[in-house]
Amino acid sequence: MAQQTDTVAAPGAPRGSGARPGRPLQARLRSARLLLGVLPFSIYVILGLVLPAVAIAIGAFQDSDTGSFTLSNVKTAATGIYLHGFVTTLGVSVITSIVPGIVGFLVAYAIFTARRGAVLRRCVITASGVFANFGGVPLAFLFIATLGSTGLVTGWLTDIGLNPYTNGFNLYTFSGIVVVYMYFQIPLMVLVILPALEGLRPAWREAANNLGAGTWQYWRYVGGPVLLPSFLGCVLLLFGSAFSAYATAEALTSGSVPLTAIQIGSFLNGNVLAGQQNVGKALGLGMIVIIAVVMTAYAVLQRRAAQWLR
Amino acid sequence: MTTKAASGNHADGGVRSTSGATVDLRNLSRSFGTIRALDGLTLRLAPGELVALLGPSGCGKTTALRILAGFETADSGSVAVDGRDVSGIPAAKRDMGMVFQSYSLFPNMSALENVSFGLRMRRLGSAERQRRASGLLDMVGLAAQGKQYPHQLSGGQQQRVALARALAIEPRVLLLDEPLSALDAKVRLQLREQIRSLQQRLGTTTLFVTHDQEEALSMADRVGVMREGRLEQIATPDELYDRPATPFVAEFVGIMNRIPAGLLELLGASALAADLVPHPERPAAGVDVLVRPEGLRITASPSGNGIVVGRTFLGQLTRLSVRLSGDVVVQVDQQSTEAAGISPGDPVDVSLAGAPVMVAER
Amino acid sequence: MAAIAGGNLAEDVEGQIPSGKSGRPGVRQFPVWRWVILIVVGAYFAIPLIAALRFTGFSSFPQVVHQEGFSAAFELSVRLAVITTVLTIVLMLPTTVYVHLRLPRLRRLMEGITILPIVIPPVVLIVGVLQVAPGFLKSTPYLLALMYVVLAMPFAYRAFDAGLRALDLQTLVEASQSLGAGWRSTLWRVMLPNLRTAMLSATVLTVALVLGEFTMASLDLYQTFPVWIVAFDQTSGPISVAASLLALFVTWIFLLAITLIGGRGSRRKGGAEVSLFSVSRRNTGGS
Repeated sequence: MAQQTDTVAAPGAPRGSGARPGRPLQARLRSARLLLGVLPFSIYVILGLVLPAVAIAIGAFQDSDTGSFTLSNVKTAATGIYLHGFVTTLGVSVITSIVPGIVGFLVAYAIFTARRGAVLRRCVITASGVFANFGGVPLAFLFIATLGSTGLVTGWLTDIGLNPYTNGFNLYTFSGIVVVYMYFQIPLMVLVILPALEGLRPAWREAANNLGAGTWQYWRYVGGPVLLPSFLGCVLLLFGSAFSAYATAEALTSGSVPLTAIQIGSFLNGNVLAGQQNVGKALGLGMIVIIAVVMTAYAVLQRRAAQWLR
Repeated sequence: MTTKAASGNHADGGVRSTSGATVDLRNLSRSFGTIRALDGLTLRLAPGELVALLGPSGCGKTTALRILAGFETADSGSVAVDGRDVSGIPAAKRDMGMVFQSYSLFPNMSALENVSFGLRMRRLGSAERQRRASGLLDMVGLAAQGKQYPHQLSGGQQQRVALARALAIEPRVLLLDEPLSALDAKVRLQLREQIRSLQQRLGTTTLFVTHDQEEALSMADRVGVMREGRLEQIATPDELYDRPATPFVAEFVGIMNRIPAGLLELLGASALAADLVPHPERPAAGVDVLVRPEGLRITASPSGNGIVVGRTFLGQLTRLSVRLSGDVVVQVDQQSTEAAGISPGDPVDVSLAGAPVMVAER
Repeated sequence: MAAIAGGNLAEDVEGQIPSGKSGRPGVRQFPVWRWVILIVVGAYFAIPLIAALRFTGFSSFPQVVHQEGFSAAFELSVRLAVITTVLTIVLMLPTTVYVHLRLPRLRRLMEGITILPIVIPPVVLIVGVLQVAPGFLKSTPYLLALMYVVLAMPFAYRAFDAGLRALDLQTLVEASQSLGAGWRSTLWRVMLPNLRTAMLSATVLTVALVLGEFTMASLDLYQTFPVWIVAFDQTSGPISVAASLLALFVTWIFLLAITLIGGRGSRRKGGAEVSLFSVSRRNTGGS
């Protein structure tokens, strides 16, 4: 990687014919050569990410049999059970981003402000790291053992006369998914909101105090506004996470609950009507678009937060 | 609540406007675990006075300030403002303005909003808040920056806004917790003057904590030197320099040479040496003599008692480091014109130019 | 889906200024409501674990290993994990180092690109991949490994990025060169040793990711360990649950490893500070 300038063999000889001096060309070659370093990465990203994404985007607009341009896939994807799937997924995502958002924030705040709780903080952070990663299949089974029809907690609750199953709850449906998703959404929230909390300087609290503000006023005028962008950003993150989740729902419901992710998966399993193969791609495209919007909003909010929490 | 200070422009000495309060710290003690941060601190601030608490880190100066502000409680002792005990009053109600070391401006508010925050807490109307806040920003020279946010301001500007914010509530006591240490040298000097002149104009009693002795000596009416939780001496800057009460103060303030009494003969101060020797409880060998650099004289001499080992040009003066026998190195300040011909490696003769500042145990 | 590990531990906010709570002298206790929250939430997390243990009984655990298909599935997962990890490091480490050293302006772009695998969910990605992948790849499980590299990219990049940022690599390399070291020595003696922690956390994260990945594997019709667990549920519930607990335990061990390694590593070495989404000012460096 030793840097060598582009010297021509004959020193002093003019570089090439023409009025153009050699320098810009040299500089351009140099930056081109610099970019060579990221070539392997770029190729990988293109092949592994961009290409499939483009394939999906194109396929969404292709007729499954003839390959000609059509909007029918997209139309199908936006109606009927697929629309139902989107709505359900949205419902799940909204609930499992706001509620864990609040709970996660409270947990983070609880451990963060503990003065002598360094050990506690470490434990909770580690635990959060583990549980945030814990999704999919094992999680589903854990909850089957807990809140399934013969689960442990189901038993307890029935004993005190509150059988959840007779009161509208069913682990293998919407309500169950919501409860289970919390298991990794809450820790995720704790992890992502902690840095923001750490950005809250003690000096602000003390300055507010010194100027006459009580706890409530501090949060209302300083703490709340400063944390709001981060909080919203993190909630958006949770939304994205819930929206694209597949494994847990699949292991739990085996497709009985209409969720976009599951529906997309079913296209690969061959459970499709003839002539509708590419609807799955339309669904995928829809999902990408939604998440892209969410992540952009997240990025914008984080940038604002970073400004203030510097 | 408080009446606005009559602005009198009195330089020093003289009558100040008395809108500042009296502050009485009595016998304050505070420990953090096994560390004794404050050990019986007693301090009285007269109205309108600027007292600096000076000392190395860990000496307790910040703790004292925070106890006064209400962010810490003392284990024992009392805090009184204008004769009233404030120990039970929470920080939010103490009516003191505080400027923190750095980054204390609320990031989500503009400079103007920051300054008027205290007024908002006191339920002032929005028009009145605006007027006062603008006035204060003007006083610190930032009238044009009212709408800017902290992250858009430089460090010096931020601290000026912080100062304006603290003064907006017209406090009787102003507390400054090393406000200049996070700033670079040039800004620090400018701000020093600004703080001092504002403080004098408004007549606010001020407690200023710093570890920079130059800052303390140049700004304060009185300086309290602290060590390990105790006040070693509190006096005007001159007194501190000329008549330090303890060796610690003597060596902390300004540059001080520490010369074993045994070398006094060598320096030609036999009378002094004789004086020191016949003390029954103090064998001369165990005693040091503290002398300022300007208290020593140098003459070039081939048979002198020392060798020059260093030379620092300070403008009108030149500071020469001279090694005497016994590996003792002293700093001597000499007029640059006289010191012109002397360079490292030259033999010189060092002698006492007057009485030493003090005598100290080894 | 959430395959994000925490671990901002190298920089625990330990030295909080000992200030009194809410400015009221005397109120220094740990207020009640905090304990309430922590206990309630803690219960929510602990109970399913207990329930699962109860359900499966301790005797099931040894049986897991003897089940039909276990070793094949586990072995496949491990193989994929190894390949993925090697590929990921080989791809991401030099790239990140290169960007840090020579193309610092591209860092923002890199961050954006490495967010993409999150924007394109695995379930969607696999659809696209199966569409464009050449036949010879599709018929081997190694296609999965290649795709797992894409999934691991965000975490690996951030692990290396955080490690490098804590390091000021530019200065180190220049110092090394000014003292006469060639590129190979600099790489071997200066860069890599200081990046050990970052490499380790990238490894651990990648392995945890691969061992737990279900979506793409099942849709690609390969029986990796997680896929096997689900398939096995049809045969025997308790064994499945036991296997799940085992999987959880293994993940926990891995992440504990990062925690310990990261906690020990000082801020100056490439500490294992891998928070994927972090607002703290530490990560806004470079502006």
